[in-house]
Amino acid sequence: MSIDVQRVTRTLTQTRIDAYADASGDHNPIHIDPQFASATPFGGTIAHGMLVLALIGEMMLAAHGDAWSERGRLKVRFKAPTRPGDAVTASATLLKQSDTAVEYAVQCATAAGEIVIEGRASVASAVAR
Amino acid sequence: MTSSGRTNISALPRGHEFPPFDFTISAAQSAAYVAATGDANDYGSKIPPLAAVALGLAALQDAIALPEGSLHTGQEVEHLRAIVVDAPLRMTGRIAQRSERHGYVISVIEFEIAGGGDVAARARTTIMAPAAAA
Repeated sequence: MSIDVQRVTRTLTQTRIDAYADASGDHNPIHIDPQFASATPFGGTIAHGMLVLALIGEMMLAAHGDAWSERGRLKVRFKAPTRPGDAVTASATLLKQSDTAVEYAVQCATAAGEIVIEGRASVASAVAR
Repeated sequence: MTSSGRTNISALPRGHEFPPFDFTISAAQSAAYVAATGDANDYGSKIPPLAAVALGLAALQDAIALPEGSLHTGQEVEHLRAIVVDAPLRMTGRIAQRSERHGYVISVIEFEIAGGGDVAARARTTIMAPAAAA
């Protein structure tokens, strides 16, 4: 089982957030309406949590292929909002590996070092299923 | 109920079951998701695993209202089977937990996405919503 998990970095522009709203069907104005969002405690639009989380999904699938689609688990907390223009990096740190599974601490962090998503990801071996 | 006819999530009791939701994810929808997220993986005829969960969650927002100040604070996902484009899918979900703390209602939505009788993904979504909206 591969444990080489490469980081994924992406800038979450408002254009990308708008495209994600259309692709996912989540048109909550906090994500896509600057005027509405400016009147909220966030002071502006924020990226969908699931858009940011997609970086972890991309990273894990690149490392584990079909095993991620068929035996992957993810448990995260959204710790802070991600704003348009933020460059976010998803990364994984190996916690343990056995014959039955591999487990990582995963996170997404901004270029400024703020952790916006934090949690665990694991992939069970085909034998463990 | 809100003016939109949807029920505020903070008003839904533990055990509330959402009506089953049938859907498919087309190649065009999958491609739009991949383009929007910037995902560099080649999925071929398969759907990015988190795409089904994301689309299912968005569909739930047709049934519930998230009042201003609501926060998506946690997400758990268990992938059990790859999903291919145009596969008929059924999503079933319920409010698995509900608690109140510091003026917020914390609701955990538990849902499954199945295709062809087999569960493809299970997920738990934690939402904090202002209690005053209940």
